[in-house]
Amino acid sequence: MLLLQQLINGLMLGGLYVMVAVAFTLIIGMLNFLNFTIPALFMFAAMMMWATMTGNLPFGNDFLLSAFGEHHIWIAGVVVSIVSICIVSLIIERFTYRYMKAKYGDATEHALPLVSSLGFLIIFEHLVISQWGSDPLQIESPFGDATFTIGSLIFSIPQIISLALSLGIVFLLSHIIRRTKLGRALRSIAERPDTATLMGVDVLRIVPVVYVITGLLCAISGILFTINYTSIDAYIGDTVATVAIAGMVLGGLGNVWGAVVGGLFVGILEVFSIYIVGADFVKVPIWGLLLLILVLKPTGLFGHSAIGKGKF
Amino acid sequence: MLLDATELDVRYGRNHAVKAVSVGLDQGEIVTVLGANGAGKSSLLKALLGTVRADGTVLFDGTDISGWSAPRRVRAGLVMVPEGRQIFVSLTVHENLLMGAWCRSDDPEPETEAIYERFPNLAERRHLPASVLSGGEQQMLAISRALLARPKLMMLDEPSLGLSPILVKQLFELIRDLNRDGLAIMLVEQNTRMALATAQRGYVLELGSVVLKGRASEISGDARLEDAYLGGNADRASPRSIPGKEIE
Repeated sequence: MLLLQQLINGLMLGGLYVMVAVAFTLIIGMLNFLNFTIPALFMFAAMMMWATMTGNLPFGNDFLLSAFGEHHIWIAGVVVSIVSICIVSLIIERFTYRYMKAKYGDATEHALPLVSSLGFLIIFEHLVISQWGSDPLQIESPFGDATFTIGSLIFSIPQIISLALSLGIVFLLSHIIRRTKLGRALRSIAERPDTATLMGVDVLRIVPVVYVITGLLCAISGILFTINYTSIDAYIGDTVATVAIAGMVLGGLGNVWGAVVGGLFVGILEVFSIYIVGADFVKVPIWGLLLLILVLKPTGLFGHSAIGKGKF
Repeated sequence: MLLDATELDVRYGRNHAVKAVSVGLDQGEIVTVLGANGAGKSSLLKALLGTVRADGTVLFDGTDISGWSAPRRVRAGLVMVPEGRQIFVSLTVHENLLMGAWCRSDDPEPETEAIYERFPNLAERRHLPASVLSGGEQQMLAISRALLARPKLMMLDEPSLGLSPILVKQLFELIRDLNRDGLAIMLVEQNTRMALATAQRGYVLELGSVVLKGRASEISGDARLEDAYLGGNADRASPRSIPGKEIE
């Protein structure tokens, strides 16, 4: 029964990794680079949630308190978090993709966006540290200990909602990519951006949409993480995103459902590792498995053999 | 005039690829642009479509479109079938067609049915990934995809490249058919003989400049056409001939 409980906890944690892994996989599948601003966006969303709920916003949150009231301040947190992530995503798009693309053309593949996104990550972390320090920060969960039990198994209601929300969002995203006009354009840009332009697709207007979608995935995941685990710090993005990268690679680069399976799997693996060998050791099984997968099946469990563009 | 481009210049760094080229095309006309590799033909098409930075003016259907982005020019009816077909192999045949209709807001499905009637090979494979198509079928798909954008002018960049002689013949028949239905066509080709037999007028580019222009029948007999392919200063004794001419 205790093992089954660990499995449930792992699935809940995995649900949060899923959204971050899908964010990584979207940018890799479409724009072909590992976007290191994703950890920053996750952390920033969690921080904005914390700052709004605890009154630590730079401009104060009195008017938010009076508008939403003490019990619903978490809703203000969600709004502040999502709005600020959308703005930040668009700024990041300008400086990791658009400006470089316009200035250096195809040379922007891989290296320039990757390095500039790494720069964003470090700058963001240190801006946050200079504002709020690097110590762990706590919130009080707005939902308390809302749980129900089946037999001796405990289910946290916010966590179940998080998992359902995460899977629902990925399902919606997958539907958009496979079945809609926007999705066709995304896949055509992933394969041949220049030819997509010949069809009249304005690539420079679609790419910001992708950045905002990935930003929203990170934001929702960061918000849910803050609510469920109530303790965050400036490096929370690194901690979560490195595990999510492992999950994405496990599922196969550029494969949305692969990222879902991989994300859930690393969540379960992490919880079991902590249970069996302890928290200090937890990264070893995850990254050991990742290395093993890379040796045995470099395309991941569901990936295509093509490394590069057009893998949706 | 449907298309009237004057004094177009394209530079890639120090490479002056298109030098003060002026080309024009009337409603319902087929015009061919000929020249050796590197003569500037593809750069000229890209300048007309707006996918490279170019100096000069482009009038299309009476409007100055010089500063317009490529997507805006496509919406105006200036559509290109790119060299090497460039179909989307990760999309199905049908999705490729729908991508052609990206810039339209109405329902393109009735027109896809007309395309499928014209090309039964595409109809059979409409829900398969476009990667299953043969080279000839891919070219049909690329042209069909362009048709779904409702072009006023279709620009084809080396459409016969890599096709067997029978498929090339079918391709040029299709081009004539489309033209008979009223579509204006600008045809960039290495297959000089077929292109001149199909087009009403032509331009010959050499090292980025127009060295010869006029009626197709006049160009085919002109010695300067051969010069353009030999690179002007090339050794006249070398036994090279105009691509496509040796078949005769």
